[in-house]
Amino acid sequence: MISKGIEDIDINMPKDAYDTGKDTPTFNAYLTVVVRDSEGKVVKVHRQRSHSPTANFIGLMLPVIYFNATNSSYKLKNTGGSTYSYGPGNNTGAQCISYPNGYSNYPSYFVMIQVGNGQQSNPYTAYSLAAPIANGSGTGQLVYGQPSIPSNLIVSGSEAYFIISQTFNNSSGNTVTITEVGIITNLQFSQSNNNSYYSLGQVLVWYDVLSSSISVPNGGSVTIYYTFTVNP
Amino acid sequence: MVTPDLVSEEDIAKLIIPDDLPDEQPTFKAYVEAKVYDKEGHLIQYHRQPMRSLTQYFLALMAIPIIGTYQGPSTNQAPSLLTSALGLPSSVGNNYSANIVWNWAIQLGSGTQAFSPTLTGLAAPILNGTGAGELLYSSLSVSYAGSTIFVSVQVTNTTPSTISVTEIGLQGTIYIQYNNGSVNTYNFLLSYDTFSTAVSVPALGMAVFQITLSFTG
Repeated sequence: MISKGIEDIDINMPKDAYDTGKDTPTFNAYLTVVVRDSEGKVVKVHRQRSHSPTANFIGLMLPVIYFNATNSSYKLKNTGGSTYSYGPGNNTGAQCISYPNGYSNYPSYFVMIQVGNGQQSNPYTAYSLAAPIANGSGTGQLVYGQPSIPSNLIVSGSEAYFIISQTFNNSSGNTVTITEVGIITNLQFSQSNNNSYYSLGQVLVWYDVLSSSISVPNGGSVTIYYTFTVNP
Repeated sequence: MVTPDLVSEEDIAKLIIPDDLPDEQPTFKAYVEAKVYDKEGHLIQYHRQPMRSLTQYFLALMAIPIIGTYQGPSTNQAPSLLTSALGLPSSVGNNYSANIVWNWAIQLGSGTQAFSPTLTGLAAPILNGTGAGELLYSSLSVSYAGSTIFVSVQVTNTTPSTISVTEIGLQGTIYIQYNNGSVNTYNFLLSYDTFSTAVSVPALGMAVFQITLSFTG
């Protein structure tokens, strides 16, 4: 029986245990936005903390022991709003993220940093951007460049980080405004101990509303950098 | 923070590397907690401190949901970040399909060491058992609430002596599973912290250690 004495919960509480809001967190994510005009000159740099892994990300981080102990699965929702069960394990039929092999090709991969001109108040429950900006040169559109993923983590002292980025060009004829940003991953699940696969399609794993909107001039470009770091 | 008219690529390179933004709420908060009970079940110590030391392997693990396990839609090669940071294979055999899963565990120890993001283990792990200096570990418990994940383990001291816990680590194991049932295993240390004051588990007492990972800002 462990409940006795629970009223003494504050005993031996060190002062550094209280959340003062001043601790340097052991993990951080930053969003950097660099805007260039039609001549390539940097006209704005915006930087803010990235705050918002989505519920999809949290579910994908959970270890197998959670699923075994609760005998449950996690509901992931793709950008189309369809839900899929995620329940990794080694039991037959467990739903696991596919891994590269020579037998078949059902890839799970980074699709893009997506930009939009809407916003939503609860990033955790977001499964798509509120108003994605389409890839193209039509009105209100941006031409999506290829995303960049580093080949390794960068380690410096106690710090480690990686940066993913993507550039978007504005050939629309008018200024295009960005207010929201997200990370989209394509997921394929492989079922343990058999050769069954199924596709979830595109899944939003990270979502941020920009603290101030970004205007991309016609003929210009914008590059979005996501920096993920431990022990900054 | 908005800065107009930066001119050089060097300036931009400096901006995208990690640097604190003190006026904004942090993205992530993490805590290590310990509750110690005597042999009669009385709570005799409660300790809570900020977690300060995630390793590069934690960062690489959390990259999996972000960048996926393939380099792209038409390749069967894993991203270099995963192969270089975690030592995972770029691709597995031709005869079987494969998938990836991972598990966690809490390891306690009685030593101390300087932190490095490449640490692979505790300085002096306390073994699971009933022998001298050992603690009996129960099954790991994992739960979540919103963006916060709770990981805890209960340990019991069945020995006649107090056992002092000075370090704690979150361990991770990645399994690459083949559809024929075979498995490749990769072990990592995901976090490492020393307690600001040692946690003493009395003889025949028990303790609950919890790691809280909150991805919220």
